[in-house]
Amino acid sequence: MRKLRKILGLALCTLLPFVSSCVDEEQYADNPKGNFEALWHIIDEHYSFFDYKAEQYGLDWDDVYRRFSRQISDDMTEAQLFEVLGNMLKELRDGHVNLYSSFDIARNWSFHEDYPSNISDSLINKYLGTDYKIAGGMKYRVLDDNIGYLRCASFQHEFGNSSITNILNEFLACNALIIDIRDNSGGMLTSAEELAAHFTNEKLLVGYMQHKTGKGHCDFSAMEKQWLKPAKGLRWQKKVVVLTNRQVYSAANEFVKYMKCCGAIIVGDQTGGGAGMPFSSELPNGWGVRFSACPMYDHQKQSTEFGIAPDYKIDMTSADFYRGIDTIIEKGRKVAVGK
Amino acid sequence: MRIRKIIGALLLAVCTAEAWGQTVIHDTIYIMEPQIKQAVTARMVGFGHSNILDTYLSPEKYTGPEVKYISHTTYRKTGRQMSTQIINQGSFAYTDNRSGNGREMAGAYNFGYGRHYNWDLRGGDINIKAGLMAEMMLGFIYNTRNSNNPAQARANFCLSPNASAQYKFSLHNRLYILRYELNIPLIGLMFSPNYGQSYYEIFSRGNYDHNIVVTWPGNAPSMRQMLTVDFKLGRRTFRIGYLGDFQQARVNQLKQHVYSNAIVLGMVL
Repeated sequence: MRKLRKILGLALCTLLPFVSSCVDEEQYADNPKGNFEALWHIIDEHYSFFDYKAEQYGLDWDDVYRRFSRQISDDMTEAQLFEVLGNMLKELRDGHVNLYSSFDIARNWSFHEDYPSNISDSLINKYLGTDYKIAGGMKYRVLDDNIGYLRCASFQHEFGNSSITNILNEFLACNALIIDIRDNSGGMLTSAEELAAHFTNEKLLVGYMQHKTGKGHCDFSAMEKQWLKPAKGLRWQKKVVVLTNRQVYSAANEFVKYMKCCGAIIVGDQTGGGAGMPFSSELPNGWGVRFSACPMYDHQKQSTEFGIAPDYKIDMTSADFYRGIDTIIEKGRKVAVGK
Repeated sequence: MRIRKIIGALLLAVCTAEAWGQTVIHDTIYIMEPQIKQAVTARMVGFGHSNILDTYLSPEKYTGPEVKYISHTTYRKTGRQMSTQIINQGSFAYTDNRSGNGREMAGAYNFGYGRHYNWDLRGGDINIKAGLMAEMMLGFIYNTRNSNNPAQARANFCLSPNASAQYKFSLHNRLYILRYELNIPLIGLMFSPNYGQSYYEIFSRGNYDHNIVVTWPGNAPSMRQMLTVDFKLGRRTFRIGYLGDFQQARVNQLKQHVYSNAIVLGMVL
């Protein structure tokens, strides 16, 4: 019985910490004030670019709280609340930050809306013609000056190593390759890596990545190196040009970062950026929130959140457009043959 | 005459062999006689309610129905104080957030192996046992609307003090067994991403950052308790009861709880 008593005593001691600590999270009320507080805190505790954006344009998230909390009242409608919360998120100037409701998506797309689009579907279709090939979701053909043209509009899907190898095989006799990723607003980082891996023969340091380790604005992990390993299939050994515009964003922005390390020449407009891998969360009323969570940097530890500058900055001109010429593709062709 | 001698010698040999054989057999029985091993297995299904919080996925709590399957086996040799307990448990919950427009699904498989010391009181009508369980859990919580943080993998291993008490009694000439079991994880290891770490970093990049965390009641105060009654119906023994499973963790500044309250029904084999 003494043994039993000892064991019961031990069990009670073990129980004590349980009784005294339930693991729980404060739930904000489902009203305008509660939803505002929930959103402000989600961003405050998880967003990854506060310090960078304070340096770049003076973002002060506490000041944002002061300014926007005044606009919240108990009698505001759902649409009014959505507008105020959306405007608050716009202060972050981040295309990865969104508020999702069943009637709208709040966004700040100034990264491309404030700039020329520098792309025309009609012109791309003219260059591709009708006898282009499709593999791994990408369209491709050999242009009449023996330059390979690959149109990669998205990284939403896996390409497959064999598809990329087949595409490069088609371009074996070409003098150079143009990869047109204009308007590619991203997708999976693994797809961007998969394609870029066909343009290096050795393992390359292409950048750094980190993540938040706590709620503080400066709580980050160490910068971990991003390595690009060469693909096992066919690898491109000749000149490669990547065409960009302001809507090259997120995983596509990363692709440009990788390709620069592979020696590619970037032609077109600056990319849109989006160097924070986004996470999701939600408000008490069920609206979804997306925000940048894991910042990524180039190989010199510089943020690419606001884009990557091209080697040759060029905009499409109206005159060329009316003559059926894509100014950026033409510049890419010239650069590809060393003109 | 010669034949008689041969038959006599054969008979003697057979008798000697038999006598030797008996000795051996007797000796074997004496030394190796197996103790009767009693195995009590209860197979149960549970229907209950689950409350899930995982701040890696959402600050909101998700609640909804849950189903479970539990196989609970105890082995004990007659006359021995030690017993072995093996638990296999599977569960699946389908839950909603409070606004009703988000879903989380949670699934888990638990395996537990334990050794207990038994006290039999009042002629065996009361049995109390206490011991240690080694437990392993693999599971997931999947949020249907998240982008790069759509799911949380759950994996842990722990050592848990485990105790139970059972009382045999009869009522209206029927035999019942009332049983209560309590399990409290004491120390273990669990997997967790860091606060804002993506699974892409862990599994595609191999960037590990405090992803295996030591757990103890201070950061993972959890418990499982079960109160059941066994009763006979015809030739079969049935079990009915309550299972409360409260798993919690506060690691890497992330909070997680999966509370489950279920009614269990099953058969004792």
